[in-house]
This record gives sequence, structure tokens and C-alpha cells, in this order.
Amino acid sequence: MQLNKFKNSNVINMKKLFIYFILSIFSTAAIAQIDRSKMPEPGPAPEIRFGDAESFTLKNGLKVFVIENNKLPRVTYSLILDRDPILEVDKAGMLGFVGEMMTAGTKNRSKDKFNEEIDFLGAGISATATSLSASTLTKHQEKVLELMADVLYNPLFPEDELAKLKTQSKSALALAKNDPSTISSVLSNKLVYGSNHPYGEVETEATIENITVDDVKKYYDTYFKPNIAYLAIVGDVSLAEARKLVEKHFSTWKKEDVPSFTYALPAVPSKNVVALVDRPSSQQSVINITYPIQNHLPSEDFLASRIVGQVLGGGGSGRLFMNLREDKGYTYGAYASIGSDRLVASFSAGASVRGTATDSAVYEIIYEIKNMFENGITQEELAAAKSNLSGSFGRSLENPSTVANFAINTERYGLPKDFYNTYLQRLNALTVEEVNTAAKKFLKPENMYITVVGNGAQVKEGLLAFGEVKPFTNMGEPERMVAMSEGTTAEDVLAKFFEAVGGKDAITKIKTAKVESLAEIQGMSLGMNYFYDEEKAAFSNKVIMMGGVMSNTVMKDGQMTITAQGQSQTLPAEQFEAARLTMFIYPELHFEALGYGMMLDGIKDVDGEDAYKITIMNEAGISTDYYYGVESGLRIKTDGQVSGEITYSDYKEVNGVKFPMKMVIKSPMIPMPIPTEVKKVEFNKPLKAEDFK
Amino acid sequence: MRKFALLSLFGVCFVLSVFGQNKIEFKEFTLDNGLHVILHQDNTTPIVATSVLYHVGSKNENPERTGFAHFFEHLMFEGSENIPRGKFFEIVESAGGTLNAGTSQDYTIYYEILPSNQLELSLYLESERMLQAKVDQIGVDTQREVIKQEMKQVMDDQPYGSFQREMPKRLYTNHPYMSPIIGSAEHLDASKLEEFMEFYATYYKPNNATLSIAGDIDYETTEKLIRKYFGEIPKGNNEPYRPNVEITKLSEQVEDVVYDNIQLPAIFQGYLMPKKDHPDTYALNLLSTYLLSGKSSLMYKELVDKSQKAIQAVAFPNDLEDGGMFLVLAIANMGVDVDDLNVAIDNVLNQVKTQGIDANDLQKLINIKENQIINSFGSVANISQSLAQGHVFYGSADYVNTQLDLFRKVTADDVKRVAQKYLDKDSRVVLKYLPKPTDATE
Repeated sequence: MQLNKFKNSNVINMKKLFIYFILSIFSTAAIAQIDRSKMPEPGPAPEIRFGDAESFTLKNGLKVFVIENNKLPRVTYSLILDRDPILEVDKAGMLGFVGEMMTAGTKNRSKDKFNEEIDFLGAGISATATSLSASTLTKHQEKVLELMADVLYNPLFPEDELAKLKTQSKSALALAKNDPSTISSVLSNKLVYGSNHPYGEVETEATIENITVDDVKKYYDTYFKPNIAYLAIVGDVSLAEARKLVEKHFSTWKKEDVPSFTYALPAVPSKNVVALVDRPSSQQSVINITYPIQNHLPSEDFLASRIVGQVLGGGGSGRLFMNLREDKGYTYGAYASIGSDRLVASFSAGASVRGTATDSAVYEIIYEIKNMFENGITQEELAAAKSNLSGSFGRSLENPSTVANFAINTERYGLPKDFYNTYLQRLNALTVEEVNTAAKKFLKPENMYITVVGNGAQVKEGLLAFGEVKPFTNMGEPERMVAMSEGTTAEDVLAKFFEAVGGKDAITKIKTAKVESLAEIQGMSLGMNYFYDEEKAAFSNKVIMMGGVMSNTVMKDGQMTITAQGQSQTLPAEQFEAARLTMFIYPELHFEALGYGMMLDGIKDVDGEDAYKITIMNEAGISTDYYYGVESGLRIKTDGQVSGEITYSDYKEVNGVKFPMKMVIKSPMIPMPIPTEVKKVEFNKPLKAEDFK
Repeated sequence: MRKFALLSLFGVCFVLSVFGQNKIEFKEFTLDNGLHVILHQDNTTPIVATSVLYHVGSKNENPERTGFAHFFEHLMFEGSENIPRGKFFEIVESAGGTLNAGTSQDYTIYYEILPSNQLELSLYLESERMLQAKVDQIGVDTQREVIKQEMKQVMDDQPYGSFQREMPKRLYTNHPYMSPIIGSAEHLDASKLEEFMEFYATYYKPNNATLSIAGDIDYETTEKLIRKYFGEIPKGNNEPYRPNVEITKLSEQVEDVVYDNIQLPAIFQGYLMPKKDHPDTYALNLLSTYLLSGKSSLMYKELVDKSQKAIQAVAFPNDLEDGGMFLVLAIANMGVDVDDLNVAIDNVLNQVKTQGIDANDLQKLINIKENQIINSFGSVANISQSLAQGHVFYGSADYVNTQLDLFRKVTADDVKRVAQKYLDKDSRVVLKYLPKPTDATE
């Protein structure tokens, strides 16, 4: 499928003339030729009609909507909870576990038995923190409803399921922290809504670790209540039958008051703010220009807001797409949207662009926002946007659950009864002036967060044109800036490090080392043994699993060889060179000899600790960042393109010098951080030849 | 005849209860130029889906010119004599519609879904495409570059995506199925405009196409419009190339390592399947459902949930006209040895081969199939495509109504038998996917 658009040219007009000519020659032929030069006109617009939902309310407050649709012998039951958004604070991530925990077994059925029963019927049951739904062929609905009710009333919340979910979440988080789009959305949400808002808070390893089975249970006990629930029943079932089934399965569900919450309304920034997350490995920059807005279905200009979003950046014919992709070629796609939400929503316009085009792309996006703010849209744009939105409204009706959603929205948000019945009529009645008034209201070209995730060294300077560039971390937190006392040099930092670990002389005397450590990966233990021989310039790292060597990295005689999965590979010289510093017990002793220059790059925040950052680089351009605690003098982190990120802690004394007993390794090759703990260190004991094989 | 056989097999009640309300009614006719037309009326929503299936896929290509069928899927959006270059999408969108297209080894399909008052527009667009699509140097040069980006995206950058090239290359030794659908960049570079024009003249003809329309239509008007727009399109005279090759089984297992831009190793096993319309295809399809669909399926339970050796597993019967491939794959969990994973998969497969499945299992598989088939009738776009595929590959558009019966004919013994017969270790391909070593510096 192609979205390419080319300008119409004279060639095409010439061809058209040619066709006319051909057609005139054959016009006497027996078959009446059709004039293909004109596109057919549409017939009269079809009436888009859809039935109303039947509804009733149980004594416990459960509101039920029934959409009978006999086209196919299937039915879905969807329960939706209507509660205020919840701020999770130190348990952020818990809500994401509720659904999986609820469907992991009940008091009557183990998880296996439950899965078997539901799969046997070819049906499906799924849950989230605010929903529980089942879909099945009508003939199995009794049984499926019984299973659904079992999940609703008797979930077990098994401990081992929580452990599995936590592990999965942490892996996902590790991936997310390195994923530019996720970083961009975390940063945007924090800026727009603030960290103390349900839409702005973010889960971390620590908040996930905090979650207990009791938290999930407590949530379930508090919020799974009929008086805040809507049940939509859609499909091949009559109102009478639905009523009977609902009475049977849901009338014993006890009502109970549910807490409600209010939150301060986020405000737009008083002037444009430029926020940058520096991600040095980025080739592309993820740009998102955003700010909070008030817009929801009941808003008077809701439909006009949809047109504004569509014309500015909807799909393959929006202004942003045409400008940034078709005209400039900065990106594969550029889009904008005007959100809608009962509490608070956001405007968003952005694209993933070529790194070198970052500032130009930001300029063009702002230009398009300003231009629409000032000059509005054209009659043609309005017509195309109307067709587009009407078309997708019409197609959505093919799915019978759309009508159920209409009914629930009408009730839930207090919409006029004929809101959806007059939807298309109201859409088509919109004028250019009305849309332009909405554009003036929803577009705020002077009050935006301009967020960029990209290679800071490449993009920062260009972004200064839009204002002060504020640095943020990959978790969307402002980067802390710490002043450094004047006159401090990289040499001073290294000298302090040597002193902190026991003196340069003492560590120079260590000629061999054997370090045995244990790594934890998803509940499995891996042995990681390191052998160093400084005089022979030899090093090896053996990864041991279940008694066998899983991988073996050996560096000696100017070569690096990796053996894994029965395959051996000797790496090219430049890769040996890039990894070379890892073969020393204290690499700091070898910076100079290996031709590395040092640069002190200020004081940075490393997991809450102030640290000097020293970037070392050799002539080949291979660089690594070393971080030393301002207070302790100890090395607390290294970050290199080859070795990945390693943090060091828990320094202990061994033979009179200090050595880190804990390391956490994050590598681009490994999807999650690996914590390792040193179990045994031996210095200056003779090593065997096979240690380096 | 078939109906009677069914009645005696399953009883009157059953047939009434399941098919009484689910039969997809349709009307068919063939134009003089060979275009086969299928119409299905469903007035519940005022939309219409128009699909055109061309019986040309990557298997019809010259082995020196792979990628042509897919190339046309792009080229056909370039416009026609009357549709300005690149306007196809915009025309459909601003008429309130949406569109898409796809290419397989066996066929290429195009479709639009529009408000029903725009039926004529869809016929106009599709007839322009069939009569006089723009096959010129500008379009060829543009789409060649786009496809090279697509190759990078779907084969090279997409983790494990290269299996689409690596698996068929090894599994098929004497059939065009050995080439990936997307083809080769070198072949596309070497191709001249005349070759593209020749391909268009051979395959994009009414006698090689099926037009299938489903939705809010009136049979009579629709037929009249179809005759108006498609009737004047001349029949194609070139003989399409259809490989007439019995696929040779491998004489021994082929096992290879593929290094890819991935973070977790994986195993891809590939086995040959019989021809698409062979009765064993249904048993193999149920076998794949038994292995992987839902949390209670055998491979999910054993590999993902219990031993946690895999973070994800898939069993997929890719049935094809001349003989498809049955794929079994699993992505290893952290720290799991890829050979261990392969053994674990084999253990699961052995369990089916030796113990088979019981009547209860079989009933579950049929229930899942029934649910899938009925749900596939939920969209007119799906119905129009299924009708066209039934006509082209199973000899009748009525296949949409009879397919469940064919699944019901499968016995528990059949599932065990096809597992033994087709999931044969000695003629399969095993690909071990490993992360590209220390490429992280790039």
C-alpha cells in the first residue's frame, strides 16, 4: 500500500487528450464505451441507521445494555467499571497486573482447569483492572457466563503468578528505558500531567517490587462492584433471555460504595518549553509537541476538534504528513491528534525524524500549528475531512459492539440521548468558521512542551532556536545539575580513586586475579568467573550454567575469541581494541599506556549519587564514560558502547585493596539488567594455562 | 450430493442449528472476457467491500526475476491512464473509504471498503487497474526504492524476519516456493520496463481475476455496473506460467544457524505440507491448533507456562496451492540453550506422535475452529475475500459454507497420523536463530 503523492503534471493532461481522441474514433463501436476520464459520482448518501440498545438496571445498581444482533450465532458480555483514575504512587504498575491475576485460577478451578474449560468451548475470557469480558458462540453462553462469574466472584490471586508478572514487567521496563518512543511518551506524560497525576506517573523497578498479592486483592475488593459497572451484551441473544442470564449470574453481586478522587487540573506552560532526553546512540529523533487540553465527547466543539486534528495531522493526507514526509522527506510519517478524555486530555503533534533534520522538523511542525491557528482551514480540507470521518463512523457500525459503546458513553458521560443518532448530521453541518474557532481554542502555539529524544550532541544546538533546552533522564525526570568546584581535573579524580581503593602502589602490585561471581537471570543462577593476568596480558571470562561452561571469552596475544553454543569466533582487531580495557583488574592504571585521553565532563547524578564523569577516548574514537563518586572517590559506573553499562557497589577490602562486590550489567545485547554478586576474589595466586583457554 | 452425505453423517438437527443461520448466500456469474464475479448481499451496514483477486503470486515468477508479484502490489497504486499518479489512496480516503492489498506465494488481492453509495467508484478504480494501470519507468523506479526499504524493514530489521527467506530456501529444493515473496533486490534492479509490462499483460487480465463484492448492494444494479466497467476489458492472451512440479522432500534433516539482529535465540522448524486442497490439510490445521492456540494448548503449557523455556511459541500451517510449510517456532527465554529448546519442542511433538489426542481434545479443536470461522463472517471485507479464495483454490465459492464440515471429518487418529507422517524429523529444516555476535557497536 502506498501513500506516495506526486504533483499532477502536463504529461497526464496530454494523456487525457489522447484518450479522448481514441474514444472518439471508437464511439461508433457496438459496445457503448464509457467515459473513463471522469470518476463516477457517488449515489445518494445511504442512511446510516442503527438500533438503540435495550437497557435495564439490577437492584445492586448494575446497568445492563443489550444489543440484539442475530446476524451470527455469537455473543459477547463486557463488564466495564467506571471509577476515577487512581494514583498508584509507590505501587505504580499494580493496576496492570489485576487482569492477569484475576484470570489465573479461582477457588473452584485451578488456572490449568480454567484455561482448559474456556479453550474447550472455543471461547475467550479476558480481564483488566477496569473490565472483564467474555466472547463465545451463543450455544456455549451458559457455560461461559458461569466461568466469567467464577472469575468475578472467586479469583485466587496466586503468589507465583505475581512473581511471574513482576519478572516480565521488569524485563519490559528494561527494554522500555532504551526504547526512544517509550521514553518520549513517558517524558511527555510527566510534563503534561505531572508525576503526581494518574496519567503522568510511571512504574519503576522499585514500584513493581513493592506490589504484593494483598494490594491486588484489596483493589479487587474495593472496585469490582456492580454499582459502578456497566454490562454490555451484544449478539445473538434476546432481551428476555439476556435478562434471565444476568439475573442468574449478577444479581447476587453485592453493591458497596467506591472511593472517588479528584485531581488538580494540569495547566499549559506559560511559554514554550524545550525538553531533551539525550540518547547518544539515536539515529532518529522522536519529536512530540504536546500540552494539556480540556476536550471530551460532551464538549460543544468536540466534533470541530476532530476536524482540526484530521486536517492538521490525520493519516496520509494531513498537513504534517504532506509537509514533513511528502515535501521534505524528513520522516516516514508525521501525525497530530487532539485527544479527548473526561478528566484531562492532551494535544500531540510529532514524528520520528532523521537526526540531522531535528530542528528543521520542529520548525515545520510549529509552523503548521501556527499557520492553522492563524489562517484556519479551507473548504476543500473541510469536505475531505468530513468524508473521511463519516466513512470511518459508518464502517465502525459493522461491529455490533459499537452500538453498545454508544449506549454506555451516552449514559456514562451524560450525553444528549440523540448524540450518536445526530452525529453525522452535526459533523456535516460544521462550517469552516466553526472549525477555525475551534482551531483557535485548541491550538496553543505559544504554550507547548517541545520534547525531543535523540542524540544530544547532534541536536541540542539547533534546538536552542526554540528556547532554553532542558535536559531530562530516560525516565522523564529533570536531570540534576551539580556545580563542580573550580580547578578540578580528571587527573585529580583518578588520584582520588587510587587513594580510595588503597593506593596506586598497592593496586599496581596485583598481577593476577581470579574473581568468582554469581549472576541472577530470571530466577536462574549463572556463574561468572573472571581470570586476569596483567603481566601476560591475558584475560578470560567464563559463564557457567548448571556446571557447564556456556560461554567463554578469552583475550590474549592481541586477540579476542568467544566460544558459545559450541561455536568459536575470533573477533576482528578493532573489536579487540574496543574491549581491551575490560581485561584489566583496574583499567584506570592503563588509560595512558593504551593511548586514551581523559576529559572531565562535570558532576552527574548516578542513581541519586553525585559523581564525576570522565570520558576517555583513544585515537580510533573508541570512548567509554567512567563515573567516580564525589564523596567516596570510588568508581560507581562505566558506560561504553561495547561493554554496555555497568554499575559497581559494595566495595570490600581484599588483600588491603578495595574491590566492588556487586555489579549490575546492562548491555545492548541483553534484554534486561543482570545483577551479579562477587563470591570470591583471589589476588596474586598462580593461574593455570587452561584458565586462559 | 455433498449436502445429503452430510445430513446422513451428522443428523438433521445439527445441520439446521449451525448452518440454518450462517449460510453465506451469494450469486456468481462470469463475463465473456473470463472475469469471474461473486456477489454477497448484506444490507445491515451501508458499506461495501470490493475485492479483486489475481491468481498470481511469487510462485508464478521467473526464478531470475523474483519479487515481481509483490512489486505489482505496489505498482498498482501508481495510478492509471485516468487516475493521476499517487492519487489512488486519496481518492478512496476522501470518499470515506479505506483500502489495502496483499501478496502471497499463490495470489495477489486488492480491496476497498467504501460507503455503499460509492460502489461505482470502487468498480471504476479496480477496472482502471485491470484495463490500463500505469506501468512506466517513473513508477518502477520509485517503487523499486520503496521496496528496498520494505525489504530492510520486514526481513532485516524485523527480529527473526529473515526466516521468510531462510526457511523456504532450504525446505523447497525444486519449486519456486524457495524464493521469498518479496524477492531479490538484484532481480528488481536488473529488470527492464518491458518485463514489467509483459508481466502485467499476462497476469492482470480478467480471465486471471476474480471480482468479489460483499455488502450493502443490490444484485441487479451491481451486475449492470460490473458489466459496464469490466465488460470492455479485453481478455489476456498470454499463457500464465504455473509451475507443474511435484515438490521433492528433503532426503535428510537440514540444520543451520542464522545470525540475526535479535536479543533472544529462537528455533524455527519447517516441514512440508501436502497441497492446499488435500484432505490432510485439515488434520494438520487442527494439529497446529492443538499445539498452539490458547493457554491450555500443549506447547504453550509445556514450553511457555510450565518449563518457561520459551517466552513465545507458534505453530502455523502455511497451506499453499502446490504444498505448503508447517512452521513450529519458539523464542528462548533468557539463558535457555537453543539446542535444549529444540529438544523440548521435539518432546512436545513426540508426545502427539506417540500418544495422539483423545475425543475430548478433538471436540475442543472443532469448537475453536467453529468459533474462528463464524467470527470471520463478521466483516464484509473478510467475506468477499473468502468467497474469492474459495472459488480460486477450492473450486467453489461455497467453500465458505462447507469448510467446517471438512474439519469435522477429521478424526483423532488423523491428527496423530498426520503428525507422524508430515512432522518428519528426517526431512525437515531446523533453523537456530542466534544474536549476531558483538555487533552492538554499530
